[in-house]
Amino acid sequence: MDIFSNFGNGLLTVLQPENLLYCFIGVFLGTFIGVLPGVGSMAAIAMILPLTFYLEPTTALVMIAGVYYGAEYGGSIASILMNIPGTPSSSITCIDGYPMARQGRAGVALFTTAVASFGGGMIGMVVMAVMSPVLAKLALSFGPTEYFAVILLGLVAASAVSNGGALKGIAMVVAGLMLGTVGIDLTTGDLRFTLGVPELRDGVNLVIVAMGLFGVGELIASIRANKDGRGQQKIDYAQFYPTRAEWKASIGPIWRGGGIGSFFGALPGTGQTVASAVAYAIEKKVSRNAANFGKGAVEGVVVPEAANNSATQTAFIPTLTLGVPGSASMALVIGALMIHGITPGPRILTEHADLFWGLVASFLVGNVMLLVLNIPLIGIWVRLLQIPYKYMYPTIIVLICMGVYSLNNNVFDIWLTLAFGIFGYLMRLYRFEPAPLLIGFVLGPMMEEHMRRAMLLSRGDPMVFLERPISGTLIGITCFLLVYGLFKSFRQHRHGRVRPLPTTE
Amino acid sequence: MKPERLADESPDIASAHYRWWAASGGLFLALVSLYFMYGGLALGLGSPFRPGTGAFPFFTGMILLAFSLTIIFRDLRGDGLAEDPDWISFFAIGAALSVFALAAGRLGLVPAAFLTTVIASLPDRSLPLPGKAILGSVVAAGCWVLFIKLLGLPFDAFEWRW
Amino acid sequence: MSFNVSISRRALMSAAIAGALLLPVKTAFADPGAWSDEPVRIVVTFPPGGTSDLVARLLAKYLETEFGQKAVVDNRPGAAGTVAADYIAKQDADGTALMIANNAPFTIAPTQFETLPYEPMTDFTHVAYIGASAPGLFVKPDAGVATVAEFVELAKTQSVSYGSSGVGSISHILGKAVDAELGIETLHVPYQGSAPAIQDFRAGVLDTFYDMVAQNSEMIEDGEAVAIGIAAAERYPGMPDVPTFTEQGFDIVIENWVGLTGPSGIDPVVAQQIHETALAVFALPEVKEQIEALGITHRALSSAEYTEFVETQMSVWKPLIIAAGVQGK
Repeated sequence: MDIFSNFGNGLLTVLQPENLLYCFIGVFLGTFIGVLPGVGSMAAIAMILPLTFYLEPTTALVMIAGVYYGAEYGGSIASILMNIPGTPSSSITCIDGYPMARQGRAGVALFTTAVASFGGGMIGMVVMAVMSPVLAKLALSFGPTEYFAVILLGLVAASAVSNGGALKGIAMVVAGLMLGTVGIDLTTGDLRFTLGVPELRDGVNLVIVAMGLFGVGELIASIRANKDGRGQQKIDYAQFYPTRAEWKASIGPIWRGGGIGSFFGALPGTGQTVASAVAYAIEKKVSRNAANFGKGAVEGVVVPEAANNSATQTAFIPTLTLGVPGSASMALVIGALMIHGITPGPRILTEHADLFWGLVASFLVGNVMLLVLNIPLIGIWVRLLQIPYKYMYPTIIVLICMGVYSLNNNVFDIWLTLAFGIFGYLMRLYRFEPAPLLIGFVLGPMMEEHMRRAMLLSRGDPMVFLERPISGTLIGITCFLLVYGLFKSFRQHRHGRVRPLPTTE
Repeated sequence: MKPERLADESPDIASAHYRWWAASGGLFLALVSLYFMYGGLALGLGSPFRPGTGAFPFFTGMILLAFSLTIIFRDLRGDGLAEDPDWISFFAIGAALSVFALAAGRLGLVPAAFLTTVIASLPDRSLPLPGKAILGSVVAAGCWVLFIKLLGLPFDAFEWRW
Repeated sequence: MSFNVSISRRALMSAAIAGALLLPVKTAFADPGAWSDEPVRIVVTFPPGGTSDLVARLLAKYLETEFGQKAVVDNRPGAAGTVAADYIAKQDADGTALMIANNAPFTIAPTQFETLPYEPMTDFTHVAYIGASAPGLFVKPDAGVATVAEFVELAKTQSVSYGSSGVGSISHILGKAVDAELGIETLHVPYQGSAPAIQDFRAGVLDTFYDMVAQNSEMIEDGEAVAIGIAAAERYPGMPDVPTFTEQGFDIVIENWVGLTGPSGIDPVVAQQIHETALAVFALPEVKEQIEALGITHRALSSAEYTEFVETQMSVWKPLIIAAGVQGK
């Protein structure tokens, strides 16, 4: 089989000592950077970029990829332990990961995260090995109309992410859409709601929104809650490893999360945050355990982690085979290759087959390394929770500041984080949740951009959305979901007007 | 919200005062959405087939306004529940971030980290002031090692610029 | 020539200052080497990964390894490079704060934005010109268009769309300039950067796009796109078959340049030292090769020539930006 021999060759490349070493450096650095709130894979990749000038292109790519998916995994650690997403895409993991930690099940959450990340990574790898050409074609059949349709679907699915009243959840999604309009209008170049601040011309950075709403907002609320001395969480060592039931419950979500993640990863521009949000929303719809979502359901941790890790792997497909980077980190990958005189594009599969297959094989090696590296570390991470909160929270605040400051080296970003922190804290007083806002914020600008571009290209004919088969189908599904959801909530509303407040346990 | 956080508070849900307090969150959202609608109008809505710069903020603002009015209505009937705010922590964290923003570019990273840690730890009475200072020094030193030495980020450790 | 006069005046002034302070007088034309004991900050107006960033990282790397001058790259993206330029304008003029200058903050932003926090000429010392890459017009092979003249005919019979890397980007303004010069009207479709525009071009959504030619050589070799004109004074060495617009009788030359620029008031002796050292880095064979891989053609300009170049570029761009309708935002 062609794929197997190619993969075998790739594996031989990766198993060379030098490549193994750099792969390890990559995943280690990535995990470490990912744990730091606000410091994403981009900072780490930028840091090692000059080093890659001297390396073989394959080695460089293997290391950069290691940082990238290592950070994706590391981001979930901070989400689970502190309710502060290490990377924006792990915001969704906070929803169930943090309640698990509060119930003394941080170890279980971290363990299942490691396994889910591994599973998602492997699914992503297989998809990349088998379907790269197909997915590259799929990405090419996605024009503005198709993007608009898929984002609309994602948005409708995402409204289900909220735990509290559905009304407040959807309101937050819409607020996120609105917030996304701040900045220069991509279609006309006009400034919108920038209040005369040059830094706002590019809009608000996703990391700042995530750090402010989740990080600062959560922290203010947790100071009083954890006032009494010792670490906030009791640790149940007996429940350190997942139970058989939890294992069983995780298998389906890993497949679903991995599959959804692979799809969104391959679409340049949508990326891991959308992948994990949509996967979570869909899981919540199909899971038999849906009632426990948001209260520490294992599936709620497994699904976004499997999704964002598989998306991390498949994000390399458009980057390498089309030369279209889906994210800033992926743009760095292209930069690193260009300095070696390799232009990513369709020819990479034939002309640089060793590079491509070396990378694919490195996903296997790197993910195994991640697993081996992190399962022993779980005990240490969990012990972090025993540090009295009075030492922890000021440290976290400084880490948030540093992470945000390292984005653009601009103190304005700190002020903005403060503003979002205040907003986040006040909103949580009123039982509004940050996750739906974040999803709206990610999807809104993309939706508007593609919608207006499609209208521009169709010379003002709105029928394009329905005429093109992919977008027509997607819009049909969306309409069905919307009508079904409205119908359901209408019935619920009639049956129990004053619903009991959601409670834990 | 987690019930354990609400355990020591028992707001008088029935009082009108409390209900208005609970509804003020929705009120705030309504005001924000009005601002975006106004801004959207000012930017121009364009035509249905050529949506203008202001169309998206205007219509999202309109949808949010509808939602927030419904939320206010429900909160006033007593559906909403607001936690009692912890203003001390709120202002301490706000001050900590502000001090970081002010000090990072002027004094450098190490003093900024120190001051931020100390100010953030103020609401916690169980740690005496010398303890806060030691914590601040440890965090500042850690930041220096982590971000400047290990990660090599282009920050100045110490600086003097007013 | 005017810039010669200004050089000698600066040299005289620096000599006078140095003499007055009783410092050992360095020669105005120093050997390449370190100019500061402190690490130099090279500010980039883009996030990591772009051409500017790679140029800065190459420069920083080789300054340190070849000339013992420590240097760090500092990415300060935002508001079309104006955040970075504003930052540089306010730094100490001791040669430790420099930026990779380009069109956006210096020639486009002054016209595009109503207010700017800095003065593009007087707030800066333009130290060393690095090089420029050339943009071109790409069309689909099945459009049956091989020359600019044929493109004009096509655009007059049907509505043609073009993708750019954003409103106020070089490719947007170039498109409008081409429209004006050719007397046609094409539909501008802005994207966030050139990559998504090229994706839509490949997907058949867009008819044409403008982008730097070097990055798209593979598409041309693979027959996925045809470059019909390069908006440069000379042909691009990597694509000797593609003619320029000028050769085809249309006067369209746009330079996507990068240079090394610092705050105003850098001591001319230090500035000259930086200039020499930077040029020495870009003359290193391995750097030269990597810079060329990025599609940048290096030219050795003196600091005075570079300063004058930036000034002329401003007057070149201004009418183009106004014609594109993106002024005063």
